[in-house]
Amino acid sequence: MSKPQKSNVKVRRFSKAFVWAHGINAISFFALYITALPMYTEFFDWLYPVLGGPEGARLLHRIFAVAFVTPTFIWVIFDFPGFKRWMKELVTWKKRDIDFFKEVAKELFGFKFKHVRQSFFNAGEKINSFIQIFTAILIIASGIPMWFPEFFPAAVVQWGYFFHNVGFGLAIAVVVGHIYLSVVHKHSSPGYTGVITGEVPAWWAKGHYTDWYDEEVAKGNFPDIDENGNPKKPTSPDSKKKKGA
Amino acid sequence: MATEYVKFVDVTKCDGCRACMVACKNWNDLPAEQQDFLGSAQSHAKTTADTWNVLQYIEHENSKGKLDYLFRHSACFHCTDAACEKVCPENAISYTDFGTVVIDHEKCVGCGYCVNNCPFEVISLKEYVDKNGDKYRKAHKCTMCTDRLEEGLQPACVTTCHTGAMEFGDKAAMIKKAEERVKQIKDRYPNAMVYNPKGVGGTHTVYVLAEKPSVYGLPENPKVPTSAVLWKDYAQPLGKMMIGATTMGVIGMFISSRIINKGKQDEGGDSHE
Repeated sequence: MSKPQKSNVKVRRFSKAFVWAHGINAISFFALYITALPMYTEFFDWLYPVLGGPEGARLLHRIFAVAFVTPTFIWVIFDFPGFKRWMKELVTWKKRDIDFFKEVAKELFGFKFKHVRQSFFNAGEKINSFIQIFTAILIIASGIPMWFPEFFPAAVVQWGYFFHNVGFGLAIAVVVGHIYLSVVHKHSSPGYTGVITGEVPAWWAKGHYTDWYDEEVAKGNFPDIDENGNPKKPTSPDSKKKKGA
Repeated sequence: MATEYVKFVDVTKCDGCRACMVACKNWNDLPAEQQDFLGSAQSHAKTTADTWNVLQYIEHENSKGKLDYLFRHSACFHCTDAACEKVCPENAISYTDFGTVVIDHEKCVGCGYCVNNCPFEVISLKEYVDKNGDKYRKAHKCTMCTDRLEEGLQPACVTTCHTGAMEFGDKAAMIKKAEERVKQIKDRYPNAMVYNPKGVGGTHTVYVLAEKPSVYGLPENPKVPTSAVLWKDYAQPLGKMMIGATTMGVIGMFISSRIINKGKQDEGGDSHE
């Protein structure tokens, strides 16, 4: 990299509540996937002894099932404004969202691209959100009759198996992409750190979510920055945070 | 197998002696289950993990307003197209050469999918306790005495039946017999019918019923649940394909961006200003 070093100025992107909610969601999702994997494909039957037999796997699956239901509530209770913004972003679709998909395809395969101005969530994140909300509802709603078949008519339990399968089949396929983009894709790694610490580099936030960043600058929450992420004005607003160095 | 065998049950010849239940317990070494009085001569409400066949006693008011005391030997039907076999995630349920449907307890994980998808509700889970005190479950049901069939014997219930209400024999012959029997009893039982439901591909227990199936608590048109077909034949294979497709997609992105187009986005600075 021949470019000058990027500044370490950071801004808060996610609340602690969201970080916890997202973390619990991620961990319970994978725990649920692994504890059910031998039921999905016999190729993974060797997981049974690891999980404490079918009984152990079933118990773990139910424990993580309860954990999997909690993130929405954590977010709503402890960071309602953040949750509300998510909802609002999900229903807001503009030309920039269409443009985003044209550019992102070039970016992901390593071609030259330009950033399309995005608000707090980009169009891809919004699509991911929609699919995850939809599949989470499918999985949770169908899981209840599967767990307690004695309280439901046989047909409800039988359709439960189908919808549970559809729900996680779709969810895991999308999650593969979601994780690749955060952990492997090189332009997004600050986003991955961000979802764990809640903070992201200011230059990265401005580059990826320009509309959101400018909005926060206008509100006086974030420092106005130059190309390398250094504050333009010598005195920046109070809420600006410096990390490292 | 050149000949396909079925168990033929003519409920109109049954006298409710319950010898079939005893013979089943005896041959299969099934423990007795203490039951509360259920309000009739019937011993168990339905088949259980330790009671693979139950004799039903039904007090039915017929079309002439008279009482019919109906009996039915109830057990697994051994469907040709068995929902339990379809939904089992461990392939623990399989068809034998005799067309019977059996559970391999080595493979069974006790998930209960078969229990909840059987159109006739004849499968049950039995809870065991291992030497460490840990509980585990296995699905149980009638095997049609497949272990006897393999030795050239007939099912224990059939062998013991003293009224000839049960027979084990060539499918075509049994069905012919059933149809003739229905003709014989039409005067006495106008609703009499052969019960060999098509929705499950026919069964390896063929009945002559004196009344409509619903009188016996049987489904009129049992079938492999549509949900089970969509789940096992479509959703699951598609789901596996989808995770494969997205995985290939991200691998493609990785190779394309890190190897083929390596450095392109960095020339002249990328757009991460």
